[in-house]
Amino acid sequence: MITSSSPSPASRKKTESSGGKAQPPTKWGTAGQQRAYGRRLLDALRATAAGGPLAVKASADTALALTARGQSRWSRAILLGRCRSRSRRKLLRVTGKIGRARAPPAAAAPRVRPDRMRVLRRLVPGCRKLSEQSVLKEAADYVAALEMQVKAMKALAEAFSAARAAEAEARRGV
Amino acid sequence: MENDAFWGSNWHSAMGKRPPSMSSAADGQSLPCFVNDADLETALSSLVSSQSSHLAASYGAEMRAVSGRLGTICNSGEISLVSQLHSAHSSCYSTPLNSPPKPNLSARDHPVQGRGGFPGPANPSPGGQLMPLSADPWFAEGAARLSRGGGMSSSSFAGQLGILLETPGKLSRASSSKSLAGSRIGAPENGNEPRVLGTALMEMETRSRFRGSLTPEASELGNGREESSIEEASSLRGTSDSNARKRKAVAGKGKGKEPPSTYSTTNMTEENSDAKRYKPGEINAVVKMETEQNGDVDGEPRKEDDNKAPEPPKDYIHVRARRGQATDAHSLAERVRREKISKRMKFLQDLVPGCNKVTGKAVMLDEIINYVQSLQRQVEFLSMKLATLNPQLDNMDILIPKQMYQGHGTMLQPVYPPEMASAAYPYSHQPQVSPLQGIETSDLESQFVNPPSRSVQLAPIYGFSDATSQLGDFCEEDDLQSVAQIVFRHNQETAFSSASLHEQMQANQMKIEP
Repeated sequence: MITSSSPSPASRKKTESSGGKAQPPTKWGTAGQQRAYGRRLLDALRATAAGGPLAVKASADTALALTARGQSRWSRAILLGRCRSRSRRKLLRVTGKIGRARAPPAAAAPRVRPDRMRVLRRLVPGCRKLSEQSVLKEAADYVAALEMQVKAMKALAEAFSAARAAEAEARRGV
Repeated sequence: MENDAFWGSNWHSAMGKRPPSMSSAADGQSLPCFVNDADLETALSSLVSSQSSHLAASYGAEMRAVSGRLGTICNSGEISLVSQLHSAHSSCYSTPLNSPPKPNLSARDHPVQGRGGFPGPANPSPGGQLMPLSADPWFAEGAARLSRGGGMSSSSFAGQLGILLETPGKLSRASSSKSLAGSRIGAPENGNEPRVLGTALMEMETRSRFRGSLTPEASELGNGREESSIEEASSLRGTSDSNARKRKAVAGKGKGKEPPSTYSTTNMTEENSDAKRYKPGEINAVVKMETEQNGDVDGEPRKEDDNKAPEPPKDYIHVRARRGQATDAHSLAERVRREKISKRMKFLQDLVPGCNKVTGKAVMLDEIINYVQSLQRQVEFLSMKLATLNPQLDNMDILIPKQMYQGHGTMLQPVYPPEMASAAYPYSHQPQVSPLQGIETSDLESQFVNPPSRSVQLAPIYGFSDATSQLGDFCEEDDLQSVAQIVFRHNQETAFSSASLHEQMQANQMKIEP
């Protein structure tokens, strides 16, 4: 279940700690990733021409998850959520109730730290049952992906607004 | 500069003196008295020098560095001096903690304040009180758990370190041995049962553990605070997770390892072969072995020898106990797990801006949560903005960017770098906002009015995106956000931009000024 198992050669000492986490599965800082995401984002935006902001966000997240190439758990969770949301909403609701039924025993001894971990688990999609270290790893990847998404969407919004301004000026000029 | 020399001379003159009382009226001359270590002196002088430069930023880090070194230096017994040092330092910046240095406060505060407005009460007193704990942010959690208010914060640090290291491991061992001794829990997936059973067992285990290894006062603490510690420990998610994993592994292996009494006999051979090994990526194997070992007696010396000695190489992860730390197999597993978690926390720390100064798991988690929430909110606002922009644009305008992105997807790679290089230089050399904005909008307008070459069209957009990242490298977070802020200010939809702007500013100010 935990996909983040680091490879272990025959005798790997604990002292070498750089190999486990230092290489994230996807590099979100590269321009190539941003271009790929931009392409997908544009396609998605054109597909959902009249959907409203929710549809735009959904398509943006889907595009982000696609750009992740399914290497991270949250991206798979997003994609699976999209696939199954239409037809199996009832099933999801049922599982949600089951999940909530297990919560009260944990809330019997409330502490600050598990709340934070729980919040983080809720924030990062698809991390509800993972261990703490996996949640942290997914969160790192998710944060990088979100940053790239925000950058790309900002640039796109800027481009669109500038296009609109230019178009309006051109019309006024003509 | 003269302040540094002033303080430095005081440190130097005070070296070697050991006044039992801190009654010297000078400005903190008595502070490093008990310190013969040059490292601490340099740390203190650096702390002092950093005071003059930037106070609030480096305060936390310096104090933690100093307290960390203090923790290593004053192992035991130098409690009064430690506390006085802490209070002295903290008194420079915050409300006084202890009563003895109070008369020295006035004497010390004046020259301190004379250097130009140190925020005396600016730093909250909890910040000073947390100094002893912040030396060990991770283990402080365990300490707070197991000895609530037992005065561990004021006692020696390093002496408690080993204890703190042992305790989480013993907790997990306790609960796991309970599972072995009691009813067989067939691979429980939920965390409720182990917690419930763990509470019942931890009572006896805490007694035996505290009897065995800790100092008398700690054992009293342990016995006296069993209930609270048990509750605290039982609700610990991490150990419960690891317990669930261990119990799963135990149940999975479960070959009728019935009562703990037979463990010592039946498992010695297994001990020899599998003493301290971890399966690749799976701590369960080791823990499984050690649950069987440790079910009966803790800390048999011959077990420790067996654990230390053998290492026939198999495909397991070898772990060695470091000097001065618990050689218990459980604690080793716990330590490995904690190291992994701390490694990932450090990675997250690099990702989340403004978290370099913050240490401690809880605060870091808070920062991460805030940052993720702010990013998600930004995405929502941007999606709203794009949703409003989208239907208003002509098909042509939409298509042009589409052609830019798609049609030249393959061409982008050779074309992009030189364009990026040429476009980046004006951005990077002009960190001010207006030229950036001017260049970008002019390029965009030119691109949409008469589309000459698509690479030029593309470059400014990505130039903006990558310029912000470059600006992020060159400037600080404030400048970067101000860039984004001013860019958004020029935008048409001021409603969205102001909302997201406020969000960003608030979130960033929350982060930058913890």
